[in-house]
Amino acid sequence: MNAKVTQTNPEGSAQKEAPKSEGERKKGSKFLQILLVPILALLTGFIIGAIVIALSNDAVIAAYRNFFHAPGAALAATWKAIVTAYGALFNGSIGSFTEIRQGIQSYYATGDSKPFLLAIYPFTESLATVTPYILAGLAVAVGFKCGLFNIGAEGQFGIGALCSAFVGYSIHGLPWFIHLPLALLAGAAGGALWGAIPGYLKGLTGAHEVVITIMMNYISFRLSDWLLNGPMKAPGYRPLTPVVESSAMLPRFFPDPLRFNWGFFLALAMAVFVYWFLFKTTIGFEIRAVGANPDGARYAGMNIVRNFVIAMTLSGGLAGLAGATQVLGIDHWVGQGFSAGYGFDSIAIALLGQSHPLGVVLAALLWGTLRSGATRMQSLAGVPIEIISIIQGLVIVFVAAPAFIRWIYRIRAISVQTTVLTRGWGK
Amino acid sequence: MPPVLELRGITKSFPGVLANDAIDLSVEKGKILALLGENGAGKTTLMNILYGLYKPDKGQIFINGEEVTIHDPSDAIARGIGMVHQHFMLIPVMTATENVMLGVEPTRSGIFLDKAKVSKRILEISKQYDLEVDPQACIGDLPVGAQQRVEIIKVLYRQADILILDEPTAVLTPQEVEGLFKVLRSMVANGKSVIFITHKLKEVLAIADTITVLRNGRVVGTVNAKDASQEKLAAMMVGREVNLVVKKKTATPKDVVLSVKDLYVRDERQNLTVNGASFEVRAGEILGIAGVQGNGQTELVHTLTGLAPVVRGEISIMDKPVRHSSPRNVLERGVAHIPEDRQRHGLILSFPVHDNLVLCTYYQPPFAKGLALQQKVIVETAEKLVTQFDVRTPNVFVPVSTLSGGNQQKVIVAREFSRPIQLLIASQPTRGLDVGSIEYIHNRIIEKRDEGTAVLLVSPELDEIIALSDRIAVMYKGKIVDILPAAKVNKTYLGLLMAGVKPSEALEAAPATTQEIEVERVF
Amino acid sequence: MKRISNIFAVLAVFVLLLTACGPAATTVAPATSVPPVVVPPTAVPAVPTNTLAPTLKVGEVTDFGGVDDKSFNALGWKGVTDAIAQLGVSGKFLESNVQSDYAKNIQQMLSENMDLIITVGFNLGIDTAIAAKANPNTKFAIVDYTFPDCWPGAVEGTDCASATELPNVRGLTFQTDEAAFLAGYLAAGMTTTGKVATFGGIAYPSVTIFMKGFEAGVKYYNQKHNTTVAIIGWDNATTTGLFTGNFSSTDDGKSFATSLVQEGADIIMPVAGPVGLGSAAYCQTSAKCLIIGVDTDWFVSANEYASVLLSSVQKKVDVAVFKAIQDAVNGTFTGGTDNATLASGGLDLAPFHNFDSQVPQTLKDEIAQVKADIISGAVTVDGVLATP
Ligand SMILES: Nc1ncnc2c1ncn2[C@@H]1O[C@H](COP(=O)(O)OP(=O)(O)OP(=O)(O)O)[C@@H](O)[C@H]1O
Ligand SMILES: [Mg+2]
Repeated sequence: MNAKVTQTNPEGSAQKEAPKSEGERKKGSKFLQILLVPILALLTGFIIGAIVIALSNDAVIAAYRNFFHAPGAALAATWKAIVTAYGALFNGSIGSFTEIRQGIQSYYATGDSKPFLLAIYPFTESLATVTPYILAGLAVAVGFKCGLFNIGAEGQFGIGALCSAFVGYSIHGLPWFIHLPLALLAGAAGGALWGAIPGYLKGLTGAHEVVITIMMNYISFRLSDWLLNGPMKAPGYRPLTPVVESSAMLPRFFPDPLRFNWGFFLALAMAVFVYWFLFKTTIGFEIRAVGANPDGARYAGMNIVRNFVIAMTLSGGLAGLAGATQVLGIDHWVGQGFSAGYGFDSIAIALLGQSHPLGVVLAALLWGTLRSGATRMQSLAGVPIEIISIIQGLVIVFVAAPAFIRWIYRIRAISVQTTVLTRGWGK
Repeated sequence: MPPVLELRGITKSFPGVLANDAIDLSVEKGKILALLGENGAGKTTLMNILYGLYKPDKGQIFINGEEVTIHDPSDAIARGIGMVHQHFMLIPVMTATENVMLGVEPTRSGIFLDKAKVSKRILEISKQYDLEVDPQACIGDLPVGAQQRVEIIKVLYRQADILILDEPTAVLTPQEVEGLFKVLRSMVANGKSVIFITHKLKEVLAIADTITVLRNGRVVGTVNAKDASQEKLAAMMVGREVNLVVKKKTATPKDVVLSVKDLYVRDERQNLTVNGASFEVRAGEILGIAGVQGNGQTELVHTLTGLAPVVRGEISIMDKPVRHSSPRNVLERGVAHIPEDRQRHGLILSFPVHDNLVLCTYYQPPFAKGLALQQKVIVETAEKLVTQFDVRTPNVFVPVSTLSGGNQQKVIVAREFSRPIQLLIASQPTRGLDVGSIEYIHNRIIEKRDEGTAVLLVSPELDEIIALSDRIAVMYKGKIVDILPAAKVNKTYLGLLMAGVKPSEALEAAPATTQEIEVERVF
Repeated sequence: MKRISNIFAVLAVFVLLLTACGPAATTVAPATSVPPVVVPPTAVPAVPTNTLAPTLKVGEVTDFGGVDDKSFNALGWKGVTDAIAQLGVSGKFLESNVQSDYAKNIQQMLSENMDLIITVGFNLGIDTAIAAKANPNTKFAIVDYTFPDCWPGAVEGTDCASATELPNVRGLTFQTDEAAFLAGYLAAGMTTTGKVATFGGIAYPSVTIFMKGFEAGVKYYNQKHNTTVAIIGWDNATTTGLFTGNFSSTDDGKSFATSLVQEGADIIMPVAGPVGLGSAAYCQTSAKCLIIGVDTDWFVSANEYASVLLSSVQKKVDVAVFKAIQDAVNGTFTGGTDNATLASGGLDLAPFHNFDSQVPQTLKDEIAQVKADIISGAVTVDGVLATP
């Protein structure tokens, strides 16, 4: 056989021929593809959640005992249980449109704004709940971007809360535009310090940050026990801090009991800041490079230890700020149950948001909204609040194991670079 | 009889790239087909399709004349197709036996692993095909060549009839390549078929029966190995004449740029791997370090670039010591480094091409103003470099991991050459590159030399060292055993030194220099 | 074919998940809490009739730990369930998992127009005050707390909630030292080593009050019998004592009991919630000590340790809660403080159960006498402690 050498088209490169519009269209659909798995994961989580709701409902179980005599009744009971639960969840997290309409009507009719405020309470409460999740989720995401697993967000959150509470209640007579930023800053600084220590220790000794941050959590738990029972205790006998001065409070948009406050917009601003910092600055460039390939980063002249410290400081600072917004915006004082797992939930949020600031904001919105609506679901539909934990847990599992979701829905794997979250143990 | 494997009209596109364009290909039973093509021509993509890793957009696959659809690798294995990837898929902490049985574990009474059975079968296979492997050895302890043999056994154990090898020789020493060829020959003698990807034309001519050449995702032609020559194949691949001989003027060395005196370095396991090495590189010359891999070259380069600490001895660049310099410090003194392991050191794979092109300079103007990265400048610069160095990529925004192996290497070269440099340290700069790119990079290195850059070239390829260097230093067990002019070097003498023979004894066997030789590139 | 097998596999995974999640869900929301809405048979909301008096709606907001904490949250909920059974009210609860839940749960109860909201624990003090002030028509009762919650020098209404502003809140407090006094007396009478011990979780007044009463009881016994029974773990003169620092670690309970026994104590009263169960476990395996329980009758709530349970200091939260509900039903609900005492029946020393035969009758009689003296005011805890 002779060689058929085509010499006519030396530069006829396929890539140059590929129409540009196609490339751009693909770029747009790439975004959809990234969202596809989380959305399907959420859907699947809710479907399984519905099954659990049905199975834990006595009326449904009773109806199924009778399935062969009255299959319709059994199905109706199932449907009713699920609709009641998810309906209450929706009303609890977004609000009931009927109530909102009635609220508006009664405001025009009587001038009384209370029904309207109560009608928007669920939605505003959801946004208020979301706030610390956004900030703490960003904290963990920044760590992930540098290849660090910051399990210490919980401790940093608590320390941040205590610091800002201290500044908030111990200083009197300052105007709000000084006192509030000062209190916020104190929270961020406290968390930053609590994050910088493990970052530095890791860089210096090579100790694994997971171990150190867990230890830092324990130290912060005990420290706050001690502070709440001693130096920071309010007069009286309860183990809690005094209420912060009103000049240090994050202003609320509506009267009590609506707790929606400036903190939410502060959190959104921080998400923008983190995006800018990670993707538009030289420091962010280094942090991401160190996270993606520390050997390559070192080769390119980057200082690994310095980046660990910077990333952990920023991470801790964000977690501390989360604690600060919670104290200054929502609780106004710190007691023992101040943080029940914000820092740990935020790990899940960062995972769900693929460590991208926008993803974190979306994940936190979802997370906080579900949490917030769960109260109403529990109270009105009698569905235990743990159902929400189950749904959230399932969503995380599915997002962490996207192959499973792809397989259920038979989606082909797409070649999106998987995010490096953290490198394994040791090394 | 129909061919064992036939591909018809296989087409596959990635965003912005038509990687395979209506490819037809056939493999006869008991034959070796070599797949040739430039970097990014689509060879790996085509093989990944065959192995079920990608789904083709169009096209048919026939095995023994019967049309098949391959959904995933397990489908491929079931159809008798096996693949040895360029990056091995072995688990280092497991033994050869355990790695081979992974995924197809045989059991006794349904629950107990039957390792003995696997070991026995491995020994059978290794005897049949001359594949020397210790079934009990831990993979992490084996040299690369032996690991590759384990990969091949793994494929044969699954009873593959068609074996795909993607650039298997890129990581092997010349001796290991010989061993591999022996195995391949005995495999085809046993009725198996092989698809073999490489960039080295000599190897192709030595082993293949037929050769199919791809360019830009299309089949350019298929020739019989008997009828082919290196020149002809090179021209088919690149679409133009390729100069197979390195042409360069005599060097005019000037001041000493790099001087290394009595250097000692430990590796990660604390073994002394550089053992009192001394040499100098002058501006305007290329010093080649020849030596079998693992004689301290890696650690030497790491120390020169600030990645590993000096135990004892002195390094100075432009008369300034570098003993405690950080990598950045070294880079800022005008040192460029093409690392030996491009994926581990040279690139941040998940980063886009443009970020990788400024990986060492992102913090300097004009790429940054204060803290803020100047995205526009970076992208513009990157686009210029991509054109200048002919990096085949749909655009500069795709992750560098989606580029073909050779194009990844070009990104590194483009980055390092685009900075103002006094000293170039190049470790295996043409590993995995196609003939055209090798020509290009060789010419650029010589150009740099002629501009007055000092070049330290480290490569286990003797041919490349001889072709490029002005002087050759032979490294053995962490020492520089001899330094001699490259122009008239005697290959036999060099070989003896590399094998550890003392210069005085080597001289008895062969003279250090011969007549002026015409040096060919390594392909 | 492939599709069908996929569907089967997915179903299989669902089943696995369900079996995995099922028990988890029920342990967190155990039998007592499912269904949380307990509507008595008399209340048929679907058929509103004018002849029936409207059912009183009671909501309980718990502190952390939830209604199945076998301690005061559980007791508070028992008060509500008792009221549901006996008074025909309707009731439900919401559990708090984090500080910000307090206000939110109270708000949820308000939005459902509860008539009486019971908040359990002093941690809910601030949020209860805020909600009560904003909703003067809703009744509140808070366990272990009372208003005004002022301290010396505080300005009522600014630094602390003012009592006049909160006529709709009843604080349910417990003079636990009176019952602990009896326990101390009992312990002093039963010890063979001449040393008894107590330790707390964290030095909250609601904890130390037990220890104080216990010390007073021991001291009173010594005065009466001219003995020198010593108490380890609390000294009222310096108000210092032994604390684990938490209310959760049974390991701490074990190790504290171990060292107290080494110091010679043979009867221990742990005031640290579940931590005490660790101490009981130690006593049971070592047979070197006896335990006096707190809050509930541990013979009932932790029967597995019956063999070492001498008695318990009962703080009858359920009785106080029930009474608040009853008053609301009868229209006699008032704000202020309902301080439970031995006299009111809101406190008691639990029966001796397994040890009934071992406690000498004379000691039993003396304890009955001490109880009567406390009720009559002839003996007071502070009085005993004040004597040299
Ligand atoms: N997963 C992917 N996503 C996007 N583009 C890809 C992907 N894989 C390959 N490509 C593109 O397809 C083209 C063909 O790549 P391929 O890896 O098949 O080349 P190759 O012939 O193996 O080259 P080399 O000899 O350099 O290894 C290249 O332009 C590459 O950029
Ligand atoms: Mg390839």
